[in-house]
Amino acid sequence: MKKIIKLALVLFLISAIVAGVLGVVNELTKDRIEQIKEKKTREAYAEVLKAETYDDAKYKGKDTQVQMVSVAKDKDGNAIGYVVETVVTGSQGSITVIVGVDNDLKCTGISITDSSETSGLGAVASSPSDKGVAFRANFVGQGKDLDLTKNGGEIDQLTGATITSTAVVTAVRSAITACESLG
Amino acid sequence: MNIKKQFKEGLITNNPVLVQLIGMCATMAITTTLFNGVGMGLSVLIILTCCNVVVAAIRKIIPNEIRLAIFVVVIAGFVTIVDLLLQAFVPALSEALGVFIPLIVVNCIIIGRAEAFCQKNTVAASFFDGIFQGLGYTVVLIIMCLIRELLGFGTIGGGLIDAAKGLTLDGTGSGIAVFGANYQGAMILTMPFGGFLTLGVLIAVMQYALKKSADKKAKKEAEK
Amino acid sequence: MTTDASIITIALTAILINNFIFSQFLGCCPFLGCSSKVDTAIGMGLAVTFVMGLASAICYIVDIYILVPLNLQFLETLAFILIIASLVQFVEMFLKKAIPSLYSALGIYLPLITTNCAVLGVVLLNVQYGFNFIQSTLYGVFGGLGFLVAIVLFASVRERIDHAEYPECFEGFPICLVSAALLALAFMGFSGMKIPL
Repeated sequence: MKKIIKLALVLFLISAIVAGVLGVVNELTKDRIEQIKEKKTREAYAEVLKAETYDDAKYKGKDTQVQMVSVAKDKDGNAIGYVVETVVTGSQGSITVIVGVDNDLKCTGISITDSSETSGLGAVASSPSDKGVAFRANFVGQGKDLDLTKNGGEIDQLTGATITSTAVVTAVRSAITACESLG
Repeated sequence: MNIKKQFKEGLITNNPVLVQLIGMCATMAITTTLFNGVGMGLSVLIILTCCNVVVAAIRKIIPNEIRLAIFVVVIAGFVTIVDLLLQAFVPALSEALGVFIPLIVVNCIIIGRAEAFCQKNTVAASFFDGIFQGLGYTVVLIIMCLIRELLGFGTIGGGLIDAAKGLTLDGTGSGIAVFGANYQGAMILTMPFGGFLTLGVLIAVMQYALKKSADKKAKKEAEK
Repeated sequence: MTTDASIITIALTAILINNFIFSQFLGCCPFLGCSSKVDTAIGMGLAVTFVMGLASAICYIVDIYILVPLNLQFLETLAFILIIASLVQFVEMFLKKAIPSLYSALGIYLPLITTNCAVLGVVLLNVQYGFNFIQSTLYGVFGGLGFLVAIVLFASVRERIDHAEYPECFEGFPICLVSAALLALAFMGFSGMKIPL
């Protein structure tokens, strides 16, 4: 019995030391990680629709793919459109797509902030490479009736990634519909 | 135990992936671009070296019954440190590797070396063991990446090198297109299928080479 | 996977579309190590399923009620691996006393589960996906079942490899990896499945 207590104490002591060291490292890196995350979201918002402020529009619709709708306002406080955060199902899990929508309910741009799609195929959709940029540029100016070229629309799908391409189209469609419901 | 012998063991004769056959999950999962491969390899190298040194340093004071638990705690500690540092300073890499960074905790290479080597050897020897075994792991990852990326996308150095921008350390480079921009690529190699197949063939080549050299040695001795 | 993922979605995704072995490469070591016979494969698969389900549930509780309120998320990896290790130990002791027959069937595989990255993988993914308690547990159980399906299929294939002819240098591990590659190819067919939401 005495032995067990001694063993438990040793293990506890080592765990405590490790946890303490981790606490210090966490304290040192916490702010930077937070900053990077915040900067990423801000950049993603600015990328799809440049505005001075983004106010929560309190979306209460039924579409569960729509996470949050913000009203984008210029520096005079005029609403110039919406930024919508959507989460849709891709081929390997969820994809977070940020969609900018102007007052005429046309897409002003998209940004994919989180996805676990197949590297080199679906992942191109969110990559900073030329192919990825071209894919995302496809969506600019599209209305809610957008679709892939093979279904008669104007969006060129990514090679070998039909599921990812369809998922992003769905995200944009949901986003525009959500903005429409807000008027 | 001399350094030269350890170097050869880590890279060739006792290579963690190709000969010891451990740590394969990540080897197959993330080796689609050079950026991922190099990043993962270096992360493992750093963690392995740190763990080796610590385990060797405390090898005499830890009770034998709970040594595995202590190893796991030490490993988890270093993995979390590297994970946090990557998130803070190389966010692109931390995003690309995702869950495979924390999963280094259960990478058999690290606990395997702690159990098989560091328990019985000095701090210095364990340090070099960590470096060379880590290098052996990194080299295999890089070979896997080169093969899969070249045939899969027709590029070399994806993420790390860009034809226009030179060296890109933030993972944005699109690599150098070897077969021209119109190469469609054998996409299948970048999928799970390609991971299993490439590693299988690599190990087969290694077995072939090791057997050849063993045969040669035997022949030479027979001649004597 | 959206946060309101239904049971069927989680089940289909974890077992077929996003199989832990064939599409996420989690748990490859025991998959390749313990699959030479169908019987042992079934034992290993069941043990993993059990631990994955239990670990998902317990880690969820620890994460939501202890780590998150105390702002200690950076200790997740450390806490989870300790939970898994002690859980495996506990399950081993419990089975030994309560169900000796099952213990003798699973016995040697239990300690191996600690270093199975599918187990740590599933609890980390649960946090990443933001699953609730029920979804986490289900994802653990179905992920384990996916592992079971994969390892049993693979073991059946391996039993037949003995009768096949292949180049000498592929002896042992390489030929297994090549067969696993072909199985992965088959499982890739499922990724085209439209997930009912």
